[in-house]
Amino acid sequence: MKSIFLIDDDPIFVYLTRRIIGSINCPCEVHEFKDGELAISYLSQMREEADSLPDVIFLDLSMPVMDGWEFLNQYSELKPKLKKDIALFIVSSSISPQEVERSKNYLAVTDFLIKPVEKGKLAEIMGNEKEPTG
Amino acid sequence: MSFIHRLNSRWRRSWRSKQQQAKAEEPDHKLVLEQLDRQKAFYENILNKLPVDIAVFDAEHRYLFVNPGAIGNEEYRKYIIGKDDYEYAAYRKRDISVAHGRRAKFMEAKETGKEIRWEDSLRNPQGSTITHMRRMFPVYDENGELSLVIGFGIDITDRKIMEEKQAALVTQLSARNTQLIDFCSIVSHNLRAPLVNMSMLVDFIESSEDTEEQKMLISKLRPVVDNLHATFNELVESIQVRQDLEIKRENVSLDDCMQRTIDGLQTEINKLGARIETDFSEASVINYPPQYLNSIIQNLVSNSLKYHYPGRKPLISLKTQKMQDKIILSVSDNGLGIDLAKHKDNFFKIGKVFHRHPNAKGFGLYMTKTHVEAMGGRIWVESVPDEGSVFYIEFDNRIKQAS
Repeated sequence: MKSIFLIDDDPIFVYLTRRIIGSINCPCEVHEFKDGELAISYLSQMREEADSLPDVIFLDLSMPVMDGWEFLNQYSELKPKLKKDIALFIVSSSISPQEVERSKNYLAVTDFLIKPVEKGKLAEIMGNEKEPTG
Repeated sequence: MSFIHRLNSRWRRSWRSKQQQAKAEEPDHKLVLEQLDRQKAFYENILNKLPVDIAVFDAEHRYLFVNPGAIGNEEYRKYIIGKDDYEYAAYRKRDISVAHGRRAKFMEAKETGKEIRWEDSLRNPQGSTITHMRRMFPVYDENGELSLVIGFGIDITDRKIMEEKQAALVTQLSARNTQLIDFCSIVSHNLRAPLVNMSMLVDFIESSEDTEEQKMLISKLRPVVDNLHATFNELVESIQVRQDLEIKRENVSLDDCMQRTIDGLQTEINKLGARIETDFSEASVINYPPQYLNSIIQNLVSNSLKYHYPGRKPLISLKTQKMQDKIILSVSDNGLGIDLAKHKDNFFKIGKVFHRHPNAKGFGLYMTKTHVEAMGGRIWVESVPDEGSVFYIEFDNRIKQAS
């Protein structure tokens, strides 16, 4: 069973992404967080417990309270202490090249995906994540 | 002996020697002197008519010659010959600092032996600033001794004014550019996000064969469309404010403004049991575009209500203070407050949201800031988390005449 964290404040997008993930033949559970702060405090609490940590994080950039960038700053510090190797994908509606460039400064970021994310792309990510990465 | 005379006698000597070589017989003195006078008048005329300041100094920085471009008044022009800038400043009862400045430039040219260039700005008797581009360069004789220092200046006031205008334009343009980048980011995040949702929903509706499911998906379209519409309107409004440079100011009564705001928010005020206090005794009228002032007050009061501290009855107070040609309006509340240490830099930025509130989009404060700054004012905030916030707006209260 794979664990996926969706960090996104947009309920419609979360609903639609859940549906797409559900339609891929891959057993997984999806947890959602409405902003960066909620996600980072959960991850920080559970950093020792590999079973409670996700395999994949999908991170939105534009969120209230703590946006995606601030989440990345804190997550980069937290990452070495996490008992699991997590793939993190930015999933943003932004088409700004500056934001794509900016994301490259974060080693923790696996890739920058622009919404809408195709079912095929999600399946590929889930497929890749089947291989133990470390 | 004036500079011109000295030059002339030099020319005369060399001319004579040439003449003597060529025509050793007997020179026609009268003709020669006539020619010399014509030449002298010719050169003097050129120096006097050149639309530049010309001044020639001896090695001790005493004036040998000035043209009418440099000193228009004939009496002063005669006085200065053989004097230095200190004597001239005393004569004209002028500030000695100008003489200090000129002496420093002279010494620089004398000591380096090179041409020096600088710009100086002076106020003319009419009170406007005149800027000159000045140059000064030493001239040496056959023995390598400093014989003269020539200074000249060109009035570059027009160019200077143009440069200042251009600098102001550049500042304005780069501010516009920042706005444009903000705007692109907002279009990208806030307009594209609902569009993506709509297109994904439509894809699902098209590929679904279950009528009930289709109905459920269609019901999810409505809030997305509404959200897109609202965002779009707010963006359009913000652009209009930026373009409304010619917007009309009026004397707006703050009490009227408040009444309108309270009427509009009555339902929320009643629901929360909010108390609103006003003290406009120092300034009760602000000269401002009425729709901007309404929007500013409405926005701040509505924010105070929206971000009230749970379980605490909102208390909102508005107060004006008059300071010289400014009016400061403060709006304070006992609400949630904001952690300014975390959010100071992007407090008034578009799309920034600080609380988990379903209707927070991050447009309100951005619009308020836009309304304030479009009219040359300032807005800032003080806040303590869990205790409340105070917003301050500084209005320029000098009455501006419509052009």
